[in-house]
Amino acid sequence: MNSKERIFSVLEHRSADRIACFCANSTATYEQMDKAEAFWPEGHEKGETMARLALAAHSVIGFDAVRVPFCQTFEAVALGCKYKLGRGIEGMEGIPGIEEPPPYDIEDTPNFPDDFLARGLIPELLKAVRILKKEVGDKVAIVAGIIGPLTITGALVGMVPMLKATFKRPEKLRPFLEVAEQAGTTLANALIDEGADIIVCEDMNASPDVIAPHTYKDIELAYQKRQFAAIQVPKILHICGNVDLIVEWMGLTGADILSVDPKLNTRLAREKCGQNIILMGGVDTAKTLFMENPETVRQHCEAAVADGIQILAPGCTIPPETPTENLLAMIDAAKVHS
Amino acid sequence: MPDEKLIEAVSHANDDIVFDLVEGKLESDEDPMLVLDDLTEGMKLLGKRFASGEAYIPEVVYGAETFSKAIDMLRPKLGDLVDKRDKKEKVLMATVRGDVHDIGKGLVATFLDLAGYEVIDLGHDIPNEQIFEAIERENPDVVGLSALMTTTMLQQREFINDLNLKGMRDLVKVIVGGAPITQGWADQIGADAFGADALDGRRKIDLLLGY
Repeated sequence: MNSKERIFSVLEHRSADRIACFCANSTATYEQMDKAEAFWPEGHEKGETMARLALAAHSVIGFDAVRVPFCQTFEAVALGCKYKLGRGIEGMEGIPGIEEPPPYDIEDTPNFPDDFLARGLIPELLKAVRILKKEVGDKVAIVAGIIGPLTITGALVGMVPMLKATFKRPEKLRPFLEVAEQAGTTLANALIDEGADIIVCEDMNASPDVIAPHTYKDIELAYQKRQFAAIQVPKILHICGNVDLIVEWMGLTGADILSVDPKLNTRLAREKCGQNIILMGGVDTAKTLFMENPETVRQHCEAAVADGIQILAPGCTIPPETPTENLLAMIDAAKVHS
Repeated sequence: MPDEKLIEAVSHANDDIVFDLVEGKLESDEDPMLVLDDLTEGMKLLGKRFASGEAYIPEVVYGAETFSKAIDMLRPKLGDLVDKRDKKEKVLMATVRGDVHDIGKGLVATFLDLAGYEVIDLGHDIPNEQIFEAIERENPDVVGLSALMTTTMLQQREFINDLNLKGMRDLVKVIVGGAPITQGWADQIGADAFGADALDGRRKIDLLLGY
């Protein structure tokens, strides 16, 4: 059974040869960059380099999927935000972000450009998926990332205006959520056309760490449902932090897989979302993968599987300084569960 | 006599009611220091509602802004009294280089100010060199560093390393915070404290300084 078959067995609720293991978020680490000879910032900006770096997640680590991109700027920049190069420790490139000020005021009406897919670095992202399809084709699943409507909205109007609007004037957010949902959905379908097998939606601003839980239910949920209904491949929904208070509604979005932080109460998620939803995650990134050792990583994987996690995964973006041996330990743990 | 209606309005970030009440008190020439006390009490209550899980970040952000605007309404009558109130120690805050996340740090600054600390907020995307310049200029007792990403949290480690290299480690206490930050990280990099959220940050600074 190859990696892609393994993942799709889980998706189709069939037996696999062993537990699948991959990452729904950015996989890139500095050690993988050295091995793949594919470095940032080119790995963020050039399709060939992005693909080469993404491939390392399978060829160096052994993940069952490869994943692009490595940042969360594509839709926001195409909608008018200014791209900001990431800055890490001296000599190390970081993850790009969005420059202030935001392009819109909360009172504005945003525009969805006709040439959206030609804007910013989207053509390079599409090229990367095209290359991955050619390189790994039917053997390894290709996961492509989009950003959730409320998170894109935060980039368009600024975090503070977005937060304040969720509290007092949520109607002001709707024009932005419309455009943001259209952006993510349009990008998702273009990525599928190039060869993406699975779409992951990262929606950090939907977390109870950022907004009130009822805001997710009353505002964001409808846009996520609409978006997922328009995407015809399996979907992963990733929301950071402890999502116990919203997991019930995450289960209603149409996502096939929920990618969760280890803070989540897995048993609660299963109780609230039923038997069909697949739970992915299990290993904390900042604390365990980044700072601990392979043995501790393996222990956390065992605990996650015992708790009901069905796909082993880092709980969020892999910190770029994460040692390869810790990621390999996840694969070792996965291989034990056949 | 505290105005419970004003306190309640601040504690629920009800800006319309807050501004109406403050306007009324200004017109009837009430003691602005007493109004300030009620505003402060309201913000502290909002903090408690946040700590208990009753209020979330958007309400606290809205409330902090309402509080700040209400103080601006009082300023012509307060003059510089509000700024010259006896201050406790000085805290220098910054979000590290490469990181634009500001909200959590801003809330810590608000709660520190409420607790009587003198707060210097350098803003976000602040290189360590700039923080060192500010330390030399401001002579803070505590430096608070916020990082919201696993890439930028490394700047907190670099800062403490540089503090040691410069022989300045004993001059300031260092507290770190942000979404990926943990007590384990704080211990590993040699920070004096870790703040899990805005209120915990203020509590930990109180502990560091012996309150």
